[in-house]
Amino acid sequence: MIKNVLLVDDDHEMLIAIEEGLQIYKDSFSILLASEGLKAIESLKKNLISLVVTDLKMPGMDGFELLAHIMEHYPDIPVIIITGYSTPEMENLAHEGGAVGYIAKPFLIENLAHQIMTTLRKESEGGTLHNVSSGMFLQLVEMEQKTCTIRLEDKFSNKNGVLFFQEGELLDARVNELQGENAAYEIFSWDQVNLSIQNGCALTEKRIFSEMQHLILEAARRKDEEVIEDVPPAVIQEAQPLEPEPVDIVAAIKEKIEAQLGPSCGLEDIYQDHSWDSRVLQLSRAGVFFNIGELEMGYIDKGEENDFIVLPGENTTVISVNPKCPRDKLLQVLSE
Amino acid sequence: MEGVKGLMVFSFAGDPVYEEFNQTQPEGIESRDWRLIIESLAGMRETDLIFKKGRLYIRRTDIGYLLILMGLFVPTAMMRLQCDILLPSLKPAKAAVGIRRLFKK
Repeated sequence: MIKNVLLVDDDHEMLIAIEEGLQIYKDSFSILLASEGLKAIESLKKNLISLVVTDLKMPGMDGFELLAHIMEHYPDIPVIIITGYSTPEMENLAHEGGAVGYIAKPFLIENLAHQIMTTLRKESEGGTLHNVSSGMFLQLVEMEQKTCTIRLEDKFSNKNGVLFFQEGELLDARVNELQGENAAYEIFSWDQVNLSIQNGCALTEKRIFSEMQHLILEAARRKDEEVIEDVPPAVIQEAQPLEPEPVDIVAAIKEKIEAQLGPSCGLEDIYQDHSWDSRVLQLSRAGVFFNIGELEMGYIDKGEENDFIVLPGENTTVISVNPKCPRDKLLQVLSE
Repeated sequence: MEGVKGLMVFSFAGDPVYEEFNQTQPEGIESRDWRLIIESLAGMRETDLIFKKGRLYIRRTDIGYLLILMGLFVPTAMMRLQCDILLPSLKPAKAAVGIRRLFKK
């Protein structure tokens, strides 16, 4: 993954000189240029930036304001300050504001390059992986309760995104201007990714509240819907096998089961839960492949206190049952 | 067992590593992307899916997921029992040289 370094300076000649001086590192990072703070913010919205190098004195938004903006909105992105008006107070302010480096002008390009390389190396200190399935890998991160920042590149679209984990919990995601769950859905829809792992997570604010499994499946569902949107309406009409369910389906199922198997049949709860929809949709596709028709129901043992019977529909109906229930009889009653 | 039409074994990554069918093997098994289906099985130990014209019984094993394609009227309790008995033999792969050969990628 080539990393992007954003150079911000209102001195155009200085920008060009630095860009040229850093050309020999083009295999390690790319340079993006911005002539002032506001343009830098635009660039941050459009690109996955790994590092910002900014001048302090600029018209409009100056370097300190830009630093404050980055610390608030992109706390994972390190900032190196370069300035021609260096004083010890300014250096203190820069470090207090969150800058990881401070270089007074004039400087040797090698010194700046060294600081850039040292800072960028931290971005992948936890390792890099190529051509991996994002869903499987990220579930591992969750299981291992890792605290890390993961930058991903979709192998097919070349889009970039970043995920923030605190002890295995997904706090936030970012893809260009998208943040939170919408960004996570985008990232989880990428099948094959290259990724780099940075130990630690600069974020503390939690923007994502859904479970990882739900996010992955919802991302798959959204991706499928995008594909369906491309299909002519006539085909969609034929392809929709599920009829609207009656509103009182839960009560009807309960009544049916208890009437045929009695109240002690192991039935624990019946509810409608759309978080199962994507999973059920995927499972139903296996039936299409094997030419055995539509999915009517499924019995699922997750090794939990209760097992589940799922009935596909607009919202999946979930019947929670005791694992010792008369399973085959229950399924038979439901299929009648 | 009567009514069993075929079986497949998938790695946890969603790659089919073994398949055997009594009649015609469905087309496109190797080229199909199974990852989403396999990912949707995450956390499940056992899944019994009833379709209009057949059933799929899926068991998590130490080496991946075993999927059994069968007709509607297979004695599923017997099927589960057979799996309970046979699946542990996949674990000590060293002792089952013949079977291990089949499950190699």
